[in-house]
Amino acid sequence: MTGRSTDPPESVVRRTLAVDADVARLANVRAAIRDVARACEAPATCMDDLVQAVDEAVTNIIVHGYRGLPGTIEVTAELVGDDIVITIEDRAPTFDPTTVPAPDLTIAPDRRRPGGMGVHLMRLAMDTIRHRPRPGGGNILILTRSRVARPKEG
Amino acid sequence: MAMLTTVDRIEGDVPVTVMALDGELDASNYLRLVDDVRELYASGTRNLLIDLSGLTFIASSGLVALFSVVRVMNGEEPPDPEYGWGAFHEVSRGVEEGNVQTAVQLCGAQPSVSEVLQRTGLDRLFLSHPDRESAVASY
Repeated sequence: MTGRSTDPPESVVRRTLAVDADVARLANVRAAIRDVARACEAPATCMDDLVQAVDEAVTNIIVHGYRGLPGTIEVTAELVGDDIVITIEDRAPTFDPTTVPAPDLTIAPDRRRPGGMGVHLMRLAMDTIRHRPRPGGGNILILTRSRVARPKEG
Repeated sequence: MAMLTTVDRIEGDVPVTVMALDGELDASNYLRLVDDVRELYASGTRNLLIDLSGLTFIASSGLVALFSVVRVMNGEEPPDPEYGWGAFHEVSRGVEEGNVQTAVQLCGAQPSVSEVLQRTGLDRLFLSHPDRESAVASY
């Protein structure tokens, strides 16, 4: 009431989830992302975009990264300013999804890249996608989406 | 586990099988959807209406499932589950040639699901109806 000191710090919204690399755990990941989006008071379209992008990213790690082998995926979601930042870490072979080319329907089907459709949806849903190798092996993928409504979100 | 399917058969002038999807369609269950439709086709279903009103999420794997369902309902083999964009290449070509299939139609898609269909262009493969009643009446 008398200033910023009475407002809860925004960094209070921070959740971490570690799941086995199993498609049966995708629903848990989506539920956790929805919880974070609600805690951040994100609009519905923002929440949908976050859920879509994280699901596609984690699915790609399970299917194309670990390739059915046991593994763990750590998902951290936090609010930084007005950005919801999702960090996804794995120990799968290094793969940078940001290098997947934009869809080109003139490319013959047999030259497709695995996971390309999921990456396409990730790009449309997120403001930024960054990748870097994880020290000791694996990947760190950072997805960012502003909770401030895009023009079409009204 | 994250999705339930319910099948109703409507015996009008044109028999229609309505399959309602409730829950979330993702990499854990999309192959089951294709298998379910394969069984329906084998048992004689030729007009399939997929009611999406209870579907709250669809992943790219779910889009591949919808494309596969079209193939199955047209008496063809579904593509490799990893087919990805190859499937959409075919969709694009087919739509451009004016081959809009009608064996599989959609109804009741929530805005979030419609958005994903549009973002990938898969919406062009289907006739979409606002709800089950208007869809059934259109046959």
